[in-house]
Amino acid sequence: MNPYLYLDRDTFVHRLDPRTKMFLLLGAFVLVFIYLNPLYQLAVLAVILFFGYLAKMLVNLKRIWFILVMISVMTVLLWSIFGSGETPLFLFFELESLLYGLAIALRIVGAIIAGMIFLSTTRNEEIATGLVKLGIPYRFAFAVSTALRLVPTIAATGSTIGQAQRSRGLDLESGNIIQRIRKNVPLLIPVFVSTIRSTNVFSMALESKGFGAGKERTYVLELHITRRDVLAMVLFLLVLAAALAIRLAGYGGLEGFTR
Amino acid sequence: MREVFTMWRHTQMVVLVALSAAIYAAVLIPFKGFVLIPGFTEIRPANVFPFVFGLLFGPAGAWGAAIGNLIGDFFGTLGLGSISGFVGNFFLGLIPYKLWGAFFAGDPAQTIDSRKKLIGFIGIVIAASAACALWIAWFNDLLGNVPFAALGSIITVNNAVAGIVLGPILLLVLYPRVKRWGLLWTEIMHPEEVSPARLRTLGNILMWVGSVGGIVVGLIIALGLYEQGFAAAGFTPEGFGDVGALGIGLGMIPFLALIVIASIMLGGREQVVAEQEGSGRVV
Repeated sequence: MNPYLYLDRDTFVHRLDPRTKMFLLLGAFVLVFIYLNPLYQLAVLAVILFFGYLAKMLVNLKRIWFILVMISVMTVLLWSIFGSGETPLFLFFELESLLYGLAIALRIVGAIIAGMIFLSTTRNEEIATGLVKLGIPYRFAFAVSTALRLVPTIAATGSTIGQAQRSRGLDLESGNIIQRIRKNVPLLIPVFVSTIRSTNVFSMALESKGFGAGKERTYVLELHITRRDVLAMVLFLLVLAAALAIRLAGYGGLEGFTR
Repeated sequence: MREVFTMWRHTQMVVLVALSAAIYAAVLIPFKGFVLIPGFTEIRPANVFPFVFGLLFGPAGAWGAAIGNLIGDFFGTLGLGSISGFVGNFFLGLIPYKLWGAFFAGDPAQTIDSRKKLIGFIGIVIAASAACALWIAWFNDLLGNVPFAALGSIITVNNAVAGIVLGPILLLVLYPRVKRWGLLWTEIMHPEEVSPARLRTLGNILMWVGSVGGIVVGLIIALGLYEQGFAAAGFTPEGFGDVGALGIGLGMIPFLALIVIASIMLGGREQVVAEQEGSGRVV
């Protein structure tokens, strides 16, 4: 199974500059924080989902549907316990805390889906280069992109060792979660040790290729902010301004809830 | 805290950041399904790595923990809460080597070769877990996402259990190898690149007050145990909820500041000098 979320599609969202997509992602995080009324939050979620539909990435939501459902249930439950309202419903549930929980659940789900859209439409190299172009030091961005690239390699090595041991008769499937963790830990040690051991070879390989030798770097991937990017940012700013204007006009709030 | 920035000059440290982040994320991701508070935290045996990598790789382990946690979020739960996850996990890796230097200045070898070091390690795990939980729970309560009491207590326990149960074993396995390969942060970095400790004992105390004290006071505020005090001061019962939210938002800032100040005071140069004098390297 491919652990990465990126989907290779030819959509206008995919063609946007990664910096534009980072801007839109941050904007989406602001957007989901504007309203406390679940109905308005639902409208915000619809906007985010429509953007995901345009990016042809909604298929990726199948991978996290369980987490999204659990978030909704747990958030409503938590805020019903820790928050309080004015209108009793049943047991310890009050109408306002239930509505607040729903709004927060939709907020978190919206933010996660916005993150999914970004990761489904942006390659790792684009994220790293985009970060550097935004002023993040190259060595930091390099560490992030290298780590991203190594995760599946480490997972695959762990899986290979597990399969090799299974073929020799080791039972890794039976037992409860604690017993399974105890069986798997000894198998993971060689993975960590061999990964850490490669540090010196990795460092020498990098330095032999001139890592950090010059102050100015060039990149294979060249990024450009085009008219398409400007248009996307302006359109999004208009949506954000409209949402803020509605909120400032007194709509989308939630009365009677206290924490 | 100078070493947190100067470490980026060393290619080996950059690679250690990437590798420790990748290992942390690779073990975090399979456990994404074992959720405790969905979208925020799950059962995390991988949380043993920030403690161990923090001790062995110093600032590279701290950056690795922060980036590894962010990459874990990249696999399905990236959100605004990821910012606090980044900062919290950074301190989860930073505090172990800072406090280790304060506890074992004379013998800074990062392994569990005595009962004293085992007790010290357990204490460090608890302080670092509380500091990490404080950052994450405070930020998420401030955003109104998850109540402080729920997130703060779960993260502290979750981190501490992983560190206390698996940490000593992993440290015993990794330390001799990492030392043989010359990958300890105290061997890679130069003393002038690392801040010296200032008022080490006071720094140690402030770290405990900031981390464990912060989480205890936060839980007291969040659970409303202060209620009688506020009632006596003339607050109406209806106002308690607002006072609670404000209390967490403002009340935790001094504790978070204490954690940062203590991290600066605890330095780390002494560990580097002791290690390099011990191994015969010219300092």
